[in-house]
Amino acid sequence: MSETQVLLESVLQAIVAGLFIGAIYGLMCVGLAMIFGIMRVINFAQGDFMMLGMYAAYFAFVGFGAQLFGTAAGSFVAALAAAPAMFAFGWAMHRLLIRRVTGTQSAGMEAEGHYAQLILTLGIALVLQNGAMILFGAHMVSIRTPLSSAAWFVGPFGDGMALFLNKARIVAAAVSVAVILALWLMIRRTGLGKSLRAAADNPEASVYMGIDVDRAHRTAFGLGTAITALAGGLLAANYPFHPFVGLEYVIIMYAGVVLGGIGSVLGAFWGGMTIGLVQQLSALVLPTQLQNATIFVFFLLIVILRPQGFFGRNVERV
Amino acid sequence: MTLPKRLLLAGTALAAAGLAAAPAAAQSKPEPIQIGLIAPVSGIYARPGTVMRMGAEMGVEDVNKAGGIACLGNAPLELAVVDSGDSVEKATNAAQRMVADYPKLVGATGAYLSSFTLAVSEVTERANLPLLTLSYSDLITGRGFKNIFQTSATSGAQAEIALPIILDLAEKQTGKRPQTVAVITDNTAASLSSVKRMKDGLLADVGLKLVSEEVFTPPLTDATSLVQQIRRGRPDLLFFLPTVISDSKLILEKMQEFRLRVPTVSFGIAIAEPEVLNTVDPKLLEGVMSAVANWGAKGQEELIQRLKDRYGEPWMTQNAISTYGDMWVFKAALEKSCSRDRAALGKALRSLDGGEAKFYPGGTIAFDEAGHRKGASLTIIQWQNGVPVTVFPEALALSQAKWPTP
Repeated sequence: MSETQVLLESVLQAIVAGLFIGAIYGLMCVGLAMIFGIMRVINFAQGDFMMLGMYAAYFAFVGFGAQLFGTAAGSFVAALAAAPAMFAFGWAMHRLLIRRVTGTQSAGMEAEGHYAQLILTLGIALVLQNGAMILFGAHMVSIRTPLSSAAWFVGPFGDGMALFLNKARIVAAAVSVAVILALWLMIRRTGLGKSLRAAADNPEASVYMGIDVDRAHRTAFGLGTAITALAGGLLAANYPFHPFVGLEYVIIMYAGVVLGGIGSVLGAFWGGMTIGLVQQLSALVLPTQLQNATIFVFFLLIVILRPQGFFGRNVERV
Repeated sequence: MTLPKRLLLAGTALAAAGLAAAPAAAQSKPEPIQIGLIAPVSGIYARPGTVMRMGAEMGVEDVNKAGGIACLGNAPLELAVVDSGDSVEKATNAAQRMVADYPKLVGATGAYLSSFTLAVSEVTERANLPLLTLSYSDLITGRGFKNIFQTSATSGAQAEIALPIILDLAEKQTGKRPQTVAVITDNTAASLSSVKRMKDGLLADVGLKLVSEEVFTPPLTDATSLVQQIRRGRPDLLFFLPTVISDSKLILEKMQEFRLRVPTVSFGIAIAEPEVLNTVDPKLLEGVMSAVANWGAKGQEELIQRLKDRYGEPWMTQNAISTYGDMWVFKAALEKSCSRDRAALGKALRSLDGGEAKFYPGGTIAFDEAGHRKGASLTIIQWQNGVPVTVFPEALALSQAKWPTP
C-alpha cells in the first residue's frame, strides 16, 4: 500500500470505530441527560447504574440469553431484557430516596437541594460499588460473544486497503440509534412526553396544569437509569467490567451532556458521538496515551467557545 | 465430708489453680510478630491483591506450623492486611496508615503494581520498615533505599533474559528467526522499564528491528488505533505489555477481528490471570507466551493443589507464590536477627544467606546492596489447552514451549 492509502485506511478505520463506539457513548449520555435535563439532578451514581446494567445483562445472558438465543443474538437480547429491570430499579430509587431531595421536597433546602442531591447520589454510588463488590466479587467478567472479535470485511480496495467493521459494535450502535429515535418520538409525540417536557420547563406551572410532576420526575429517572444501563449492557460484550467500571465512564457521560448542550436529549447523543470520534481520530496525530486527555482539551475548547454546547440553546430544555 | 462438699472443694481448688496458672500460661505464649501485606483489595486491582493475600495467608500458616520463629520463643507470624486501593494516591495514604496503625509491624510485602510500590516504599523507607516486593520496575531498587528488597528480576533484567530465549525458540521450531517487532505497552512503571531496556540497545543486540511502538493509558476503551499500527507495520513478533485484564481482551480480540496472526509475547501477568478466561475465548489465548517474575512450577505441586483446594484458584500465579515465599524469607531473616526490631530485620535481610531460592525462579535468598535478589531470573509461561503453564526455565517447566504458529 502507498503512504496515502495507508493514511486513508487509518482515517476511515478511525472514523468508523469512532462512530460505532460514539453511538454507545451517546446512548449512555442520553440516559444522564434525561435525569439532568428534566430533574436538574447531578447524578454521581449514573456510572454505577451503568455498571448494574452490565451485570444485569450479564446474568440475563448467562441465565437464559445464551441458551435461548445463542451467544451472538443472546448478548443483545440480554442487554434489552436488563433495561426494564433497571427502569424498575430507577423508579424505586426515585420513590425511596431521590424524591426526598428533588422537586417540591427540595423547596426551602439550601441551593434548591443541590447539595443534598450531590451527597445523596455520591452515597448511592459508593453503596452500589461496594455492594456490587460484595455480591459479584472483584473479578472482571464480560458477555462472551463471538461477535466481539468478528468483523465484516469491506474491501480490499487498491493495494489491499480494507475496513473492518466490528459486528458487536455495529449491532450495538444500531440498537442505540433505534432507542434514541424511539425516545425522541415518545418525548415529542406522546402525552407522557408532553408531561416530561412540561415538568422540565416549569415544574410549578405544570402542577397548576394538573401534571403530576413527581410522577414525571420518577418516570424520567427510571428512563434515564434504564437507557444508561442498556448502553452498559451493549458495551459489556466488548468491554470487561467490574464493580468500579462506572467511574471510567461517568466523566465521559458528563462531558457528552455538556458538549451536546445541557438539557438537550438529542444534543447529548451527538455529544457522546463526538467524544467517540475525537477519541479515535486523535490517535492518528497524537500518542495513544493522550486519547483521553484530548477529549478534555476538546471539551474545554467547546466550553470556552460555545458554552451552551453544540446543539443546546441557553433556554432549551429537553 | 459428704461427696457434694468434697466435689465442691475439689472444684474450687482446681479453679484457683487454673486462675493462678493463667498469667503464667499467657506469659509463656509469645506475642505474634506482625508482617504487613499492602496490596489492592478494592478497586480494579482487587483480584490480584486478593490472590496476594491468599499466598501470604498460606505462607504465615506454614511458617507457624513449622514452629514460628524459633529464636523468638516460637513466636508465630501474624498478617496485617492493608488495602492499597487502586491508585498511587490511595497507595501512599494506605502506606501512611499502615505505618501509623500498626506500630509493631516488623516488615511488609507489597504493593502489586510497580507504581504503587514506588509510592509505598517512599513511606516505608522513612519508617525504616523493610519491604519485600515482587514489583519489577528498575526504579524500585534504583533510588539508593536501604529498606526495599526486590525478589523478582527487574523489568530490564527480565527483558534481557527473555528475549534471547524467545528468539531461539522461534528459530528452533520454525527455522526462521524473527527480524521485526512491534511493541504495545501501557504506561505503568514496570512496563515502561521493560520497553526502555529493549529500546536502549537490547532489541539491536538480539537483531530485532522495532517497526512500531504504541504507549497507552490503561484501561483502554477501544484498541482499534493500536491494532491498526500492527496492521501497518506487519511485524514478525508482537511484544505486548498490559497490566489490566480488559486491555488484554481488547487487543487480542481486535487482532482477531483484523485477521492479524502475529506471534504474541507478553510481559507480565495481566494476560494469564484466571479472570482472562471470563472475558476472552481460550482459542485466542492459545500459544500466547508471557514473561513473568514467578509462577507455580515443578516441585510446588502440593502447594499449588492446596491453593486450588482452599481458595478454588485454577492455578498459582506469581502473586500467590511470591507472597508465600516472602513469609519464608521473613522467617529466615527473623531467625537471623532474633529481634522484633525493624532495623535489625532490615540489617538481617541485607546480609541474609538463605541458600537456593525455593519459591522464586533462579538465584538465592540473598540481596545485594541495592536490594536486588541475587541471581533472580524469570519464568516464561505459555497458554496451552486453556491453562498458562511454566515452560521456562527447563528445570521448573511443567510443559514444553511451542512456538505459536500463525
